[in-house]
Amino acid sequence: MSATTIPAGAIRARLTARRPLVLWIGFLVLVMAAGGAAFLYQYANGLVVTGMRNTVMWGQYILFFMFFVGLSAGGLIVASAGRLFGVRLFKPITRLAVLAATVAVLLAAIFILPDLGRPERLLHIFLYPNFTSPMIWDIMIVIAYMAMSAFYVWLYVRADLARRGSWLAFGTGTSARALAREERLKSAMAWVALPAAILLHSITAWIFGLQISRGFWYSGIMAPMFITSALVSGLALVILLALVMRRLGRLRFGDELVAFLGGLLGIFIAVLFFLTAAEFLTAAYPGAPKAAAFERLLVGIYAPLFWFEVAIGLGVPFVILAIRPLRLNPVWVAAAAAIAILGIFVHRLNLILNGLSYATIQYPPGVSVGVDQGLGSSFALSHWYIPTAVEWLVVAGVLAFGALVFTVSVLILPMQEPADH
Amino acid sequence: MSEPKVSPIDALPAASRSYGEIGPRSASPHWGMVVDQERCIGCWSCAVICKSENDVPLGTWWNRILTQGDELDQPMEVRGGALEMDWMPLACQHCENAPCVKVCPVGATYYRDDGLVMQDNDRCIGCRYCMIACPYGVRTFNWGEPVRPTPHSTGMIEVRPVGTVEKCTMCVHRLAEDQVPSCVWSCPTGARVFGDLNDPASRVNELIREREGYELLKEAGTKPSVHYLPPRRKNEL
Amino acid sequence: MPLDRRTFLKGSAAVAGAVAGTALPVIDRPVRAGRDYDVAKSLPVDRVVRTTCSPNCTGSCGQLAFVRDGIIVKIQQAADYPDTVYNPRGCMKGLSYINHIYGEDRIMTPLIRTGERGSGEFREATWDEVLDRVASEFRRIGEAYGWDSIHVFGQVPGSGYIQKGANYRASALLGMTHGTSFDFNGDLPMGMPITFGVQNSDHEAKDWANSRFLLVVGANPVETRIPDVHFLFDAVERGARMVVIDPVFSGTASKADAHIRIRPGTDAALGLALVHQILVDGLADLDFMRTYTDASLLVRTDTGRRLRQADLLGDDAEDRFVVWDEAARAPITIGTEKLGMPPGVVAALDGTFEVTLHDGTQVTVTPGFALVRAEVGRWTPEAAEAVTEIPAETIVRLARAYASEKPAAIFMGGGAFHWYHGDLVGRAFGLLATITGNIGRSGGGFSVYVGQYKVRVIVAPWWNPGGRKLKVVPSIYFLRGRTETMHPAVPYPEAGFKALFCSFSNMFIQSPDINRLHETLRELEFIVVADNQMTDTVAWADVVLPATTWYEKLDLTATPLHPFLQLQQAAIPPVGESRSELEMWREIVRRIDPGLAAEYFDVTEDDAIRMILEAGADPGGPTEGITLEQLREGPVRLNVPDPDIPFLRQIRDLEPFPPRSLPASLEATAAFLPTRRIEFYKEEDRFRELGETVPTYRDAYDDRVHDPAEWPFVLLSSHSKWRIHSTYSNNPWLAEIHGGRATVLIHPADAAERGIGEGDPIEMFNTRGSLVALAQLSDAARPGTATLAEGWWTRYFRSGKGVNELTSSVVNPIHEVHFVPNMWAPSTGWKDCRVQIRRAPEGVS
Repeated sequence: MSATTIPAGAIRARLTARRPLVLWIGFLVLVMAAGGAAFLYQYANGLVVTGMRNTVMWGQYILFFMFFVGLSAGGLIVASAGRLFGVRLFKPITRLAVLAATVAVLLAAIFILPDLGRPERLLHIFLYPNFTSPMIWDIMIVIAYMAMSAFYVWLYVRADLARRGSWLAFGTGTSARALAREERLKSAMAWVALPAAILLHSITAWIFGLQISRGFWYSGIMAPMFITSALVSGLALVILLALVMRRLGRLRFGDELVAFLGGLLGIFIAVLFFLTAAEFLTAAYPGAPKAAAFERLLVGIYAPLFWFEVAIGLGVPFVILAIRPLRLNPVWVAAAAAIAILGIFVHRLNLILNGLSYATIQYPPGVSVGVDQGLGSSFALSHWYIPTAVEWLVVAGVLAFGALVFTVSVLILPMQEPADH
Repeated sequence: MSEPKVSPIDALPAASRSYGEIGPRSASPHWGMVVDQERCIGCWSCAVICKSENDVPLGTWWNRILTQGDELDQPMEVRGGALEMDWMPLACQHCENAPCVKVCPVGATYYRDDGLVMQDNDRCIGCRYCMIACPYGVRTFNWGEPVRPTPHSTGMIEVRPVGTVEKCTMCVHRLAEDQVPSCVWSCPTGARVFGDLNDPASRVNELIREREGYELLKEAGTKPSVHYLPPRRKNEL
Repeated sequence: MPLDRRTFLKGSAAVAGAVAGTALPVIDRPVRAGRDYDVAKSLPVDRVVRTTCSPNCTGSCGQLAFVRDGIIVKIQQAADYPDTVYNPRGCMKGLSYINHIYGEDRIMTPLIRTGERGSGEFREATWDEVLDRVASEFRRIGEAYGWDSIHVFGQVPGSGYIQKGANYRASALLGMTHGTSFDFNGDLPMGMPITFGVQNSDHEAKDWANSRFLLVVGANPVETRIPDVHFLFDAVERGARMVVIDPVFSGTASKADAHIRIRPGTDAALGLALVHQILVDGLADLDFMRTYTDASLLVRTDTGRRLRQADLLGDDAEDRFVVWDEAARAPITIGTEKLGMPPGVVAALDGTFEVTLHDGTQVTVTPGFALVRAEVGRWTPEAAEAVTEIPAETIVRLARAYASEKPAAIFMGGGAFHWYHGDLVGRAFGLLATITGNIGRSGGGFSVYVGQYKVRVIVAPWWNPGGRKLKVVPSIYFLRGRTETMHPAVPYPEAGFKALFCSFSNMFIQSPDINRLHETLRELEFIVVADNQMTDTVAWADVVLPATTWYEKLDLTATPLHPFLQLQQAAIPPVGESRSELEMWREIVRRIDPGLAAEYFDVTEDDAIRMILEAGADPGGPTEGITLEQLREGPVRLNVPDPDIPFLRQIRDLEPFPPRSLPASLEATAAFLPTRRIEFYKEEDRFRELGETVPTYRDAYDDRVHDPAEWPFVLLSSHSKWRIHSTYSNNPWLAEIHGGRATVLIHPADAAERGIGEGDPIEMFNTRGSLVALAQLSDAARPGTATLAEGWWTRYFRSGKGVNELTSSVVNPIHEVHFVPNMWAPSTGWKDCRVQIRRAPEGVS
């Protein structure tokens, strides 16, 4: 494409046409700047500016880390499952799905940074890794997964890029041989990526699930639960993004794909229901100490959140998706997907809050809060964690960054799978 | 002030110094502590001196005294309507199988040869995973700049950097000069005994044997170096 | 090789690496090796100074001040007592005192009031300006109204014989009246002078460990005798039993074998019932009663006075008393120079006898013990149950348990005797301890440890310069004016009080019936307060003198709890512009009368300490062989028996009661016991008028009648473990623990009835005043009691001047029968008042 002789009117027309995009990108940059400023402010003052304390020592950042790890699941299902189980239907959205996964896991990795008290010592993770720490396992798998996803995206768009002559094809061509190699690589990747995805969600689960100090987390079901909730949110994200992209005219696929994905989402939700029920029954049945945490969710302080998660966050999408006429309507499926994402978010929120906000040893006065309380006890047995404006800004900044990466990617990269070849 | 500086241990009066000496130990000691709940009166002297000794800022306590009751210093009703209350001093248990050491991604929490679990505040990245892992809730994070009631720092060690995790060190700086931890020194009722768990004849081991010492949250399998002596069974009138 | 941790760690690292399938560099990290920085020694200091913690707490605990760059960076117990059972001594309050030396409330400069009194508005001033002001005002008032209209008030001389002594010295020189603290605080257990003729009786703390049975009555040593409470545990470890009598479940109750919940203020009835049961069971040591007490001395039934030799023979032997010898079936007269009975005499303890007086009249006489027994006879366990609400069966078991273990100690606290009729509680338990032969016996005794009242050295050369007598007026009369029954020997100023010099006391919130005190304050023309913290009292001063803490001056201290004489030694120079009391008075007196100052105030603390040491250095004197140089090195045991217990010479050598109570003369206190024996029968007119000749029980008394129906709660203003009275109220470290808000402990049922929830603001009020604090609900509270620990500064309440809005200042006329300040003087009753509680009105929450 050459930019030599374009009439002024055409430029104006083009800019006018692109105005929403320019505004969108400007908005994202602004939010990122605010997020960056908030991060610098937090860095200068310490994490005291967050709502976290010794009582709830992980908050919004880890919540979003977890959530985005989960969101990254969709890409792999669509790509790998499509290939491994030969589901051709997924083809039109495969590129979108792997791109979404890549961006999601990138954001997950970024969310670790503001959570550190000493982000400038990040390098210590690589200089002095302690391999008994699930966190080290997780960082390794996140990095590996990120690399894999990025490669996957490239693999899918490579041929188109090569056809365009883009340098992003890295000199690979579109010869039959190259395409055949691409197909082989895609198949091989599918075999690697699926276990990698399972590992990613399992290890993230083990960060929590291996901690004997946290009764609510210490459970073998943690990994299956994480995988399932990741499948729910990841798939829901793909559905939503795909529908948005179709609406924007950047992607073409039929409603039968939407219905199929919706059905799949419904099945994942059902599995999550089952796992949740199994976990709660096992924990609550003996009426033993561990039951307290579950009681807080069922009838206690977190019951509103929990029942929101179960009844609205998962129940409503399930019902929508179980009803065939609704499932066939993309608007309903989009709504179900959006609600399911919210449901999984609340699910993760419950995990963090209920896992941490009560001291393990429930004898008064409790745990030292870690911040001067002015006049008043500096101990607490529980803590009502509310993220501060700083945390919201940092999160917003990271989200804006993700949206920007995604936006730029779909502008640069050909997202539409060629009709057939 | 141009006075020449001396070690606070060397500057102690002779009688005070000998009061605080650790005493006999094996060739390769494993330091431990016994806390006698029969003698603990919940006065927090050990916690306060810890705060002073280690320049622990406001809002943070390395050492605290839990009330085994309904609220601070209030009893709870037990079977038969009787009231009971005991106190449980709680600081780092210096576990032999420490969850915090396991989970620290950068090895900033580690074991010393003498059984103490230490924190390297120059290596710590402030991820607080160790706090998640610790079942005793004894680790605390430096959320911001230290706030003190006095205009200057106190104590006998440097304050730890913001953004890192800290906890009881068993007054390792005092052990280096053959003095018991400050909480042991300052307990007005003699509820704390410090010594070598590797020495079968040590007072700590003797007490654990005679008084049926127990480990806090034994089911967690952490193997603490701090042992508790249960309160005695009361005789009725 | 067994799988130790190190190999496990290495193994798992390898596994983890394999699982991850990556080849990140594994740095060889020494897992268990120490690193350089963690074996670093303590940061160095300039020096370590040995001194003594000296709030008004009786602990008198040796402390070390660690000084770095001229600043105290740590305070820790010295733990250097030669009698090592006393180590370490010291509690969390003393260890956190650093926050008061350098805290926000420290007064740094002299201040002169600019706003209304109480507004706390001041301007900074120079020392010269304030000293000139104090001197000129004192001279004006002294000359206009008489120097005795200036009242000097300070607390507990035991915590600083030299600096607090400077207040006495100046008062004696200028003729100002000095106040009292031991009686004013209600800590003077009036049962002691009445029964034993002494100011107080207390075994040194380590002697508790020798006991076989510990009866803790209204005391909470676990929270308020922290440095010494371990001696109780030592006794328990050796097999002693401990029983706690307390309406409220206290920290001490949690350690006891049994906790007996008594109705507040009825301890005397319990004591009498215990004696009753012991007599019934035949467990009483009646020989002990004959030997050491007035039990066998005959009392005339016509006059209620004792039968004297003068009555029989018409001579002037008013100090010879009469017993009925059952062997001779005749009255025998005995003297007061020695306890015991003449050989062969079997003195009757019961019965009535006819004797003929020298004028021929026949009178009926009876041994005093018969009268005591008659009263005790009324107090069956069942009768006591009706009053105390303790099951009769429990009382019986307690009596048998106490009487069958020897030695058995009674440990009484303010909860039992801080009452209008607290003297009767003391007399009942004095009887219990005596009738079981536990007096003057290691591991036994009847001890009260409230207040660092004790003057253990000869202070006269310092307190009474040139032999000048000190005019001491019990401060209760300063608070509420003279009473009709006031003892004529009280040097109450003719013109009333016109000025106050308040030294190291938060008296404007800590005195009983506080609003009444504030009426008195309104009449004062001049108020000076010397303190180091910006207390509520300071806010009412006209002139504020910044004072040093005990880490910035030299002083001499001792306590009833242990027999070691110690120095306070300056660890640092005075903070800000603060000065010691001695410096203040030297300058004030110099401005008033340079001649007096030159003669009596041109002395240093060293001089004063030497004066006191020398005065007691005679053979057998308290400071025999003790030098200032020794004291600089550490604590030195006073010249007292080991263990130091009261009445040893009376019990062992049959020396007459009472032993001397310093600083009073023996003659002064001997007047309390005309028989020179332990007295359970009091013959003075007022005892007879009030029907209190023998130990008995009286209901709580409040001069503002508070009908229980209308005022259902007994207000218990207990001592808190977090404070020493109002000192440490503002300690940030301690506030972090307890929350820094005044709370009232009430029973959940009482709260529910009033719709009060945990932490709700509640209004507590009676006809004297009201306050708003936060509700704390716990089964620890006895229904019908409201416990608000005294000492909170007003800023920790939602409203009100604090707990003393509600307390009573009424004077018991029994306390005015004799007058020796702090020994037989009006002791306040803090706990008689009743209150009502409701949810706080909107707006104050």
